[in-house]
Amino acid sequence: MKPPMDSSRAQITLPASTAPGGFGILRRLMSPVFIVAYLLFTYAIAQSNLHMQSLALIAAVFAILAISLDLVAGMLGLYSLGQGGFFAIGAYLTTILATQYEVDIFWLLPLVLIGCGITGALIGAMSLRVSGLYFAITTFVFTLVLTVLATDLSITGGLQGMLGPAFPDFPDSLATLGTAVVWCVMLALLVAIALVRNIRKSPLYPVLLSIRDAEPFAEAAGVRTKVIKVGLFGVSAAMAGLAGWLFSFLGVVSPGQFDWSVSLNILVMVLVGGINTTLGPILGAIFVTMFPAVVNIDPWIQEILYGALSICAITLFPEGVVGLVKRHLGARLRSATSADREEEVSVASAPIERSVVDDGAPIVECRGIDFGYGTGLKVLRNVDFKVQRGHIHGLIGPNGSGKSTLANIIAGRLKPQAGSVLIKGQRVDGQAPSDRAKLGLRRTFQAAQLVRELPTSRNVMVGLYNSVPGIVRRSAFWPLLPSGYRDGANMLRQSEQALRAVGAGSWVDAKVGDVPHGIEQLTQLATVRVAGPEIIVLDEPATGLSVSEVDHLARLLGQLKAQGVTMIIIEHQTRFLFPLCDQVTVLNAGEVILTSTADVVRADPTVRQIYLGE
Amino acid sequence: MSLLQFLLSGLAIGAVYGLMGMALAISFYVTRVINFAQGQMLMISVMIVSTLAAAGFSPWLAVIAGLAASCIVAVLSYLLAVKPILAFDRFSFGWLVSTLGFAVAVENAAAYIWGPTSQAFPPILNNISVPIGNAVLTAQQILAIAIAAVLTAAFELIRKRTLFGKVGMAIAADPEMASAIGANTTAVAIIAFAISGLFAGIAGVLIGPSTFANPYLGGTFGTYGFIAMMIGGGTEKPAAAMFGGLLLGVLAEGANATINSQASDWFPFLVLVVILIVSPRGLFSSGSAFLRLWPRRPAVARG
Repeated sequence: MKPPMDSSRAQITLPASTAPGGFGILRRLMSPVFIVAYLLFTYAIAQSNLHMQSLALIAAVFAILAISLDLVAGMLGLYSLGQGGFFAIGAYLTTILATQYEVDIFWLLPLVLIGCGITGALIGAMSLRVSGLYFAITTFVFTLVLTVLATDLSITGGLQGMLGPAFPDFPDSLATLGTAVVWCVMLALLVAIALVRNIRKSPLYPVLLSIRDAEPFAEAAGVRTKVIKVGLFGVSAAMAGLAGWLFSFLGVVSPGQFDWSVSLNILVMVLVGGINTTLGPILGAIFVTMFPAVVNIDPWIQEILYGALSICAITLFPEGVVGLVKRHLGARLRSATSADREEEVSVASAPIERSVVDDGAPIVECRGIDFGYGTGLKVLRNVDFKVQRGHIHGLIGPNGSGKSTLANIIAGRLKPQAGSVLIKGQRVDGQAPSDRAKLGLRRTFQAAQLVRELPTSRNVMVGLYNSVPGIVRRSAFWPLLPSGYRDGANMLRQSEQALRAVGAGSWVDAKVGDVPHGIEQLTQLATVRVAGPEIIVLDEPATGLSVSEVDHLARLLGQLKAQGVTMIIIEHQTRFLFPLCDQVTVLNAGEVILTSTADVVRADPTVRQIYLGE
Repeated sequence: MSLLQFLLSGLAIGAVYGLMGMALAISFYVTRVINFAQGQMLMISVMIVSTLAAAGFSPWLAVIAGLAASCIVAVLSYLLAVKPILAFDRFSFGWLVSTLGFAVAVENAAAYIWGPTSQAFPPILNNISVPIGNAVLTAQQILAIAIAAVLTAAFELIRKRTLFGKVGMAIAADPEMASAIGANTTAVAIIAFAISGLFAGIAGVLIGPSTFANPYLGGTFGTYGFIAMMIGGGTEKPAAAMFGGLLLGVLAEGANATINSQASDWFPFLVLVVILIVSPRGLFSSGSAFLRLWPRRPAVARG
């Protein structure tokens, strides 16, 4: 029975590992070819006439702005309308300090980057109290205020604005290169492109998307989502400030160039070109900035045409131009993923080693937990709950009895109104979910929280966030670092192993949005299992699974228990749950009815009455 | 200038801001879309009234035609710029591109047809002065305050008391659920946009005698309407945008009278920032720190 199964597994994994290898050489050649072409193009622009140069430079500056917005809007879902504001800060700071206080422009660059970065982090921290559209609106108000300030303050030169500083020419030895400011702007754009592309190739990318699409999942995997959001927003603001620094060399700086419509236009560029793509924002910036120069007709007709075209663009290609191209190419390239998921589970995964001092103390303990949503009824009343190390502890109760609420309190998503939670004997009250994850606590969600547009393996990589140091720090250079290459490959291998271990090995390359419900649940399990946690909280893992899938899940949980993992399982299907459990706690209307072994619980008359409906 | 004078003038201009804020809020309420072309509807009504009045029609006939034009533009903006986007993805920001594009196209079409300069606008009631205490208002200003009060009350009555209003509330809460129980979301959205166009058009007719007819009016009043909506918390309750507008008008007039004549350019923004810091969703929103000062009776759980 065993050998054929092994070979079948080899067959399944082989195509997955060879396919990227074939494209690998092409893909590795792409970057150098792109850079050489880009530098040749820059050389050509630097030699061309002033009209061409100003067209290209304005487009490049706005491309940087669009990339800075795509960094937060595409990867984190933060639709900032504050980019115009940071752009203005960069331009005005440079112009005022360089022309009125004669500060060297190259000293101003770090000042602008740091200044805008800090302002961005502050604005981000303030605006992140609200999400979605309200975030866009608060950042928009920031831009409005800055425009008003620029118009009304005396130091900014009012409506007329002021002439920006001149960018120094190349020394004679480099004069053959052409106009220096062209090289400066184009190299800055190249750096911006490289930064975003590197992040997109790094393991931070799935983490960022998980913050965007499934924040509870990211938090439960140990990601400090708020810090990352604020930090990345600061980086994006610094990039917009860089664009402002560059813009001040191109002529007059006046409020009209930074008014509220600029921030909107930057978002238009990103959306028309294709959000969350590397090339999309650049194409969008070229379209928006070059349109008036290329379509040379009556200015009003031209504007009417521009308006009509943007409506057409967004209604015909809602994902943007690049998004559309990608989807069509993607559909053609996507390998036919095999539908064979009856793959047997390998029991071979190494037991998770840990020095356990089993002193009989509970590994998870809740003491006197009180909780209510808003001012309504209490959902939990004085709940005491103890889980012994190595146990599978069932948590059952009718709908609305407070099971999921209790799970959320243990995991740190909700704060109890009274009482405390102890994990491994340590009080964790007030600790964020990400800190509890570092203690070895992981959880799954009733409705799977995953990034639907990423393959299952990338989702599982998020679970490894804490086990690889410096993911955030290194992400800006990830593909260039040998350690990045090694760690990335390692993480992917571990993730694929974890998926194979839960029996989803043939779905490693399939997008979560395309897999059946059962595989989605198994992927969730792989995201927690891959981190080698000590405690797992499972919120209704068997919901919606078929009978054979439930059996499969029970076997997996049994294996985890054999490895010494403690589990708290919330479940309605007692037929699945009871055979697994060492202990079962019954909740009803927010109170603990009984904690005992499955047999005692099953026989208890009160439980039969309230829960089993007898 | 007396306290009463700037209070009343503030309420009059605030009523116009409030109507614009409500117009934005009504379309937002049903579709979760901020219509960047809202200001253009005000502009269209102003331009049409001006043109027809200049051609010798009765000003009241011109006003009716102007309001009809605003409604038509509003419905067009929904059909062309909002509906296709929401059909693809209800949560995407694509509407921002399309409504902005719609605004650009309408504004420049107007500038192309009527030229960029200001034209005469019929005075309507602007020539009648009414002394109130030690203040003097024009009948037009009084009309603005009265119309704002009547429209706000009527809107709230329709929203809360009629089946149509309740369907609107259901769609605002959850469009998919609402259509599952048989609400025609498209029809309700079209009517909501028509009403928002009507509000913007009325705002235009009220302000026209003092601004005259200019194709670039839309941007200014659209922005003030947006601020009114945000101050009041109109994204949750359209009527709150009216209170935001009135507050904005009084504060702007007050700043002009007490600080300097340019203060109304920046003072409203300062107010907006302070309010958003304290209460990110506006003064009268459900989570507002201001409302928490007067807590409501806690909700009673049923069942």
